[in-house]
Amino acid sequence: MKFRSLAVAATAALSLTALAACGSSGGDDDAAAGPTTIDVWLMKGSVSDDFLKRFTDDFAAKHTDIKANVQIQEWNGIGPKIIGALASKDAPDVIEVGNTQVAQYSASGGVKDLTDKKADLKGDDWIEGLAGPGNYEGKQYGIPYYAANRVVLYRKDLFTAAGITAPPKTREEWLAATAKVNTGGNQGIYLPGQNFYVLSGFIWDEGGDLAVKEGDSWKGGLATPEALKGMDFYKQIQALGKGPKDSDEAKPTQTDVFAQGKIAQMIAVPGAAELIAAANPALKDKIGYFPIPGKTADKPGAVFTGGSDLIIPEASANQDAAYTFIKELAGEQWQTDLAKTMKYVPNRTSLAASVGADEGVAAMAAGAANGKATPNSPNWAAVEAKNPIKEYQTKVLTGGDPAAAAKAADEIITQALNTK
Amino acid sequence: MRTRLSRKITLNVLALGVFALSVFPVYWMVLTAFKPTKNIQAETPSFFPTHVTFTHFGTAVHADGFWTFWRNSAFVAISAVLLSLVVACLAAYAVGRMKWKGRQAFILMVFIAQMTPWEALLIPMYVIARDTDMLDKLPILTLIYFMMTLPFTIVTLRGFLKGIPVELEEAAQVDGCNQFQAFRRIVFPLLAPGLLSTSLFGFITAWNEFAFANLLIIKNQDQRTLPVWLSSFSNTFGTDWGATMAAATLFMLPVLLIFLVLQGRVTTGVAAGAVKG
Amino acid sequence: MAVAQAETTTAAPATEPGSPGSVRRGRPLWARVLPYLLVAPTVIGTAYLLAYPLVRNLLISFQKFGIAQLIRGGAEFVGIDNYRQILSDQKFWGVVARTFVFTAINVGLIMVLATLVALLIGALGKWMRFAVMGGLVVAWAIPVIAATTVFQWLFQSQLGVVNWVLVAIGFDQFDGKAWFADGNSTFAIIVMLIVWQSVPFAALTLYAAMTTVPKELHESAQIDGAGSVKTFVLITFPILRPMFGLILCLEVIWVFKSFVQIWAISQGGPGDATLTLPVYAYQIATVLNRYDLGAAISMVTVLILAVVLLAYFRQMFKEEGEL
Repeated sequence: MKFRSLAVAATAALSLTALAACGSSGGDDDAAAGPTTIDVWLMKGSVSDDFLKRFTDDFAAKHTDIKANVQIQEWNGIGPKIIGALASKDAPDVIEVGNTQVAQYSASGGVKDLTDKKADLKGDDWIEGLAGPGNYEGKQYGIPYYAANRVVLYRKDLFTAAGITAPPKTREEWLAATAKVNTGGNQGIYLPGQNFYVLSGFIWDEGGDLAVKEGDSWKGGLATPEALKGMDFYKQIQALGKGPKDSDEAKPTQTDVFAQGKIAQMIAVPGAAELIAAANPALKDKIGYFPIPGKTADKPGAVFTGGSDLIIPEASANQDAAYTFIKELAGEQWQTDLAKTMKYVPNRTSLAASVGADEGVAAMAAGAANGKATPNSPNWAAVEAKNPIKEYQTKVLTGGDPAAAAKAADEIITQALNTK
Repeated sequence: MRTRLSRKITLNVLALGVFALSVFPVYWMVLTAFKPTKNIQAETPSFFPTHVTFTHFGTAVHADGFWTFWRNSAFVAISAVLLSLVVACLAAYAVGRMKWKGRQAFILMVFIAQMTPWEALLIPMYVIARDTDMLDKLPILTLIYFMMTLPFTIVTLRGFLKGIPVELEEAAQVDGCNQFQAFRRIVFPLLAPGLLSTSLFGFITAWNEFAFANLLIIKNQDQRTLPVWLSSFSNTFGTDWGATMAAATLFMLPVLLIFLVLQGRVTTGVAAGAVKG
Repeated sequence: MAVAQAETTTAAPATEPGSPGSVRRGRPLWARVLPYLLVAPTVIGTAYLLAYPLVRNLLISFQKFGIAQLIRGGAEFVGIDNYRQILSDQKFWGVVARTFVFTAINVGLIMVLATLVALLIGALGKWMRFAVMGGLVVAWAIPVIAATTVFQWLFQSQLGVVNWVLVAIGFDQFDGKAWFADGNSTFAIIVMLIVWQSVPFAALTLYAAMTTVPKELHESAQIDGAGSVKTFVLITFPILRPMFGLILCLEVIWVFKSFVQIWAISQGGPGDATLTLPVYAYQIATVLNRYDLGAAISMVTVLILAVVLLAYFRQMFKEEGEL
């Protein structure tokens, strides 16, 4: 009878529900006997499978009393997920957090204060772009993990064909070289209009900043003469190619476009070369790197330091074991290995020299010396979410008045950063 | 005066137009799934793939936990739909065929329930789940998706039920059926088109939902659902769009399957409903 | 014949409406309790899974509630401060007005197109009907992330299909046109996306309702000489009205609250061109982890929608009372 079978279906659905609830309750609960299990959250793509295996095997051998259960998390939706984790009763023990996001978690009270461990981790040696964001009101919550910054990827064959023998070292040389390769169906440089990380670098080179803290409040810095000069240079170099003026480096994915083979330069982290080679193997050996040129030949351009910090949630039940894990991962041995394997910048400035001779990493390390982070405010994540800087860029590139557009963007930044 | 043939041709041309407009973006998605990465952003767009590759589907299928995701999503979506169909049928029958005090209030409550701001209930739901120890467990998602689709299902089934004259059931009862048998034999087949739209609606809602699944399933990786898989092809460098589109194509197939299965039964049901005359 | 029967059902006072086979005086206890039993699961579900979180949400809107309170508790009561902050923001009312315009345009297009498509489906032969319905299901089922990305790709300034086709036809001014740099074109693209995604559900459900209209009515209308338009207006639409009203109500709610597409494509920009209420809420509340403000805005949204749909609710309440 259909009615009865409906009832059966309902009971089935409900009992499945109940059964599943029973089945999945409680996971690892016996921490008393046997090794302490810690849950570690690492972000997708931050370490290779090979590195992870080597690290966890070594860690297990060195620390037989701790079992590290590493879970790879997706970037999409990670914000709410971390908040949910920090607020839960049973949080993971170590979480990798992007350096532009860590300040908001530090300010929440849900992260363990690790200031007293700073000396143990040789904290004075940390690179500023990672340590700064991890520090809130004088206390260190985030432990620097790894960093990467942008360099210029270029087609060695196209440069040689245009008669350029050495990579440019100053802005003038760069503009000249780019103009030379911007012919014959090729683009001199593929620079999307809304790459605000690159713009930040140009602004820092002029002595300006995206936002400045005056006393207790923030003020947007795009309308300052220095920042306007930075934007002007962005406009000049952007014009030597066909990057979309109303979009950023993800729409479309710039490595996909570069892989077509008709672009001479692109600004990205060195690791992007692997994606290009995967899409178009013919380009594999044709890609070279040089640091983003600065205003003078002796100092490469300032770059945005991207990267991650490691945090321990207050709600973690195994904070000591968690710290042991962090100490290993942020320690000299594994930082050097990580930098070499993944082409990263290690978390300590003194380790930069030991990352080996890979061309891309060398270019990146040269730039890293002049690396800076975004304004250290818990509200910065909000600015990046609806980014007035990107809109400002598009307005200027499509012919708008830079000063007026900068002022409008500044108002939004000021308001967002000063919201309590 | 239009001949039947020219009318038929016009209708079919219009139909093809509607089909093309509905399908074109989806076609583009599937096309991307088969294009090698370097052709995805080609200067001259190609409407037919010149080189076909299955690598993206390979990447999509070999993702970590692929089968777990599918199993979890299937469980959650199917149980949510079944639950909501059953509960809604009961409620629709009570509202459409019986007279009782509070019926008006009840149906008003159901209508208002359709306005629920689910996106705002993320945090309260999280707090409730945390306090009742339901975090990291799939059934909480089943219950939430069930509640998301219930109001619409009740209202739709009630609407369809109203269009089915009581006399049909009464006639069946005169012939010897009791109330339930009359419902099952006469009314249920006539409800079929309504059941199709509400099942599809419920399934798509549950199948696609990301925000709650992302927030409420925290540590237990085994309980993650498919939308998480769909967005897992982004990493620090950018998104692997070929793999994402391949994943999206696979993601859509069960919905199509359900439509095919149900639509077949609907057509039979509607034909059987010729008993109405 | 069915028409006559339908009329008898609503007009006849003799038969007790409802419970087929019931006796006129004094129903047995189980029959009187049955309706309440049947709706009990709904009521319980609604109370626990909907009313309770909603009340919680309302509570949060009267508290100071951010990440810190979520993690550590101790949310203090601040009365209507959150509401005051939202309603006194000079941007707020502009955003609401824009959301109304946005909703009106989308819903208007959706309902008109859905009705036309539903009628079209009804008039087709079996295989074409199946194909068109399949096409609609496919558009309905595509994951939002894929749909938004594809739409963005189609309208890319340098590599997009739309610009390429327009230039190929001869409109050279579209070479490299930056669709997303202009407020109006971004708005239009988002409308296109939302209408494209919403019509399938509306059309399929309307069509399903149309199948319940007995064929005899159409046939007798044709015999009486009525053309298709008249048939629709006088016969189909009146029967369809409840379902049409329901779908209209739902679409208003869903479009008013649509967020993902707008956020993914423009984040409410450029400038404020596509800043609707849900996007605004996300901007000032969610990204700053101000759950209290978010709760307040959501309550205000529900209130606005309730007022907008008041007429619909009154009508429906009246209808139910008549039965």
